[in-house]
Amino acid sequence: MRPDDPTDPFLTPVPPVPPVPPFPPTLTVPPVLPVPPLQQPLLELEDVSRVYGQEVEIYALDRVSLKIMPGEFMSIVGPSGSGKSTMLGLLGVLDLPTSGTVRIAGQDVSALDDPDRSRLRGDSIGFVFQQFHLVPHLSALGNVETALLYRGLRPRDRRQRAYDALDRLGLAQRADHRPVQLSGGEQQRVALARAIVTEPLMILADEPTGALDSANAAHVLEIFAGLESPERAVVMVTHDAVVAGTARRQVSMRDGRIVADESRVA
Amino acid sequence: MNQTRDLLNVAWTGLMARKVRTLLILLGPIIGVAAMVGAVGLTESAKGALQVQLAQLGTNLIIVQAGGTFGSQNPTLPGDSVQRARHMSTVTGAAATTNISGVVSLPVQGASDYYEAFPVPVRAADDNLPSVLQVPLLDGRWLNRADARLHLHSVVLGNGIAKQYGYLPGEMRTIALNHTNFGVVGVLGPVALDPTLDNAVFTTQWAAKHLLGTGGQPNELYVRADTGTTQATANAIPTAINLGGTDQVSTQVPSDVLAAQAQANKTLQKVALFAGLLVLTVGGLGIANVMSISVIQRSAEIGIRRAVGHSRSKIAAQFLLESLFVGVLGGALGAVIGIAVVYLVSSVEHWVVEIGYAQIPLWMGLALIVSAIAGLYPSIKAARLEPLETLRLG
Repeated sequence: MRPDDPTDPFLTPVPPVPPVPPFPPTLTVPPVLPVPPLQQPLLELEDVSRVYGQEVEIYALDRVSLKIMPGEFMSIVGPSGSGKSTMLGLLGVLDLPTSGTVRIAGQDVSALDDPDRSRLRGDSIGFVFQQFHLVPHLSALGNVETALLYRGLRPRDRRQRAYDALDRLGLAQRADHRPVQLSGGEQQRVALARAIVTEPLMILADEPTGALDSANAAHVLEIFAGLESPERAVVMVTHDAVVAGTARRQVSMRDGRIVADESRVA
Repeated sequence: MNQTRDLLNVAWTGLMARKVRTLLILLGPIIGVAAMVGAVGLTESAKGALQVQLAQLGTNLIIVQAGGTFGSQNPTLPGDSVQRARHMSTVTGAAATTNISGVVSLPVQGASDYYEAFPVPVRAADDNLPSVLQVPLLDGRWLNRADARLHLHSVVLGNGIAKQYGYLPGEMRTIALNHTNFGVVGVLGPVALDPTLDNAVFTTQWAAKHLLGTGGQPNELYVRADTGTTQATANAIPTAINLGGTDQVSTQVPSDVLAAQAQANKTLQKVALFAGLLVLTVGGLGIANVMSISVIQRSAEIGIRRAVGHSRSKIAAQFLLESLFVGVLGGALGAVIGIAVVYLVSSVEHWVVEIGYAQIPLWMGLALIVSAIAGLYPSIKAARLEPLETLRLG
């Protein structure tokens, strides 16, 4: 072996020692990426049936499957008896399916006990009803606060959040008024404030304009349109074609089944 | 902690939203507890007056009476009974009285017909009688040795007879006993332990013997014993004053009768307590009834609370707490009213207020238990309501 043989291991230049990393090592944490929308359905109905009656079975919902994605603005339409209300009860976790699975953010609601299901409902879903359903002995503020009870909030913080929600809907001046002192439109806006104060994943509205005159109805629909966000879904159950038409996705029901599911480009 | 506060707040607001209804269901526990506090307080206060009186009078007075054989007109004790009684080591004082029968006493001229028909008992009494009885004089003075030595015609009126004669304090009054005139020198205060003395006219042993013609053998002896030896002394006295013939002498401790009177109110107390309990129970039914109706009326509220995430147990707790508030509030108000009634009646009746404060928490607790039981069914009913049915969707 020649002295300058490059294969001579003794002649191989010693590779430079890599610099010692500082201790503790600085960890580069990848930034938390927002969950990409349309990845996981917010709410998922899989082969869901809801049967009423013991001896004579009435299928209010018959093997319905539906996925609601974050950011969706949809309406569920259909004539009376088509299963809209049953659908609403199931979507809102006010009711459980006879068969099939209802999942909210991947969580099977049938597997939860009442306190957990109630918590899930309170955290994820904001309800708006045709008859407003405000508690008559509470002020507008008190009604909005109802949705924030039993969450370990300090009364001051709770009141502030409720007030902010009312303020967002232009009702700050009416915070101390009882429901009877408010107009129908104002009552529905209080109900809306109650629905959004918990920052829910889904707003579930049942004929939200059914008890309102056209001017107030238009105002409420405007507010609904303004509630759209990439994380939140807005679902309106209605038999009013005009109301349904404001939504981008329209699910039509008949006899307990989904007969059409159309999306229109905004 | 915050959740409990929320719950208390929700229940309180719910209750206060319907003030008239709340007031109506409050009446049950209020009246029930007030009745029980009042019943115990009033009977105790009435008893309390007796007990205070008893303490003032002392429980160590013994009345010794000549028993006599059956049918004898005017049985007497030996003439030296007072001395014999005083020789007993446990006796601290003794005074004798002698009944003088058949004396017509006239407070005013022209009333002889009436007082012949209803003769007033006249008693010759020792000069230490008021001190043995521990009864003060309402007016003037008691009979003393000077009355006897100077042969004065003096009498002292019993409290009751003074009223009957219309005797005014300090008045110079002459009354007639068997047509002999006597001057009234004083009025003895009420003798609670022997009310017969209230309606007697007292005079000296001398006057009895020389003016009214009575032998002077005493009929009754009033003896004070050392505290704690009353019964033993009472038992020993017959032997001490009438050696060999115990059947001739009887003794009694009059305070025992008063003590028994103080106990007699227990029955009334029990009846009133039972009535209070009944009111409380009926009030509980009222609470259950009104709360049940309230649950139906408020079904929409229950539905909306369920919709915004209140669990079944929270709804149940809310309604149970409303009912419990009724119990607490009603119990407290009832106790206050009961105490007020006891004070009011006691001040009118001049009783010494005695309220069993230690028992009041018991009655209030009872009201609370009744309201809790009453609230149980409505709250379970509220929790079982299906929100879907109460909200009338679609």
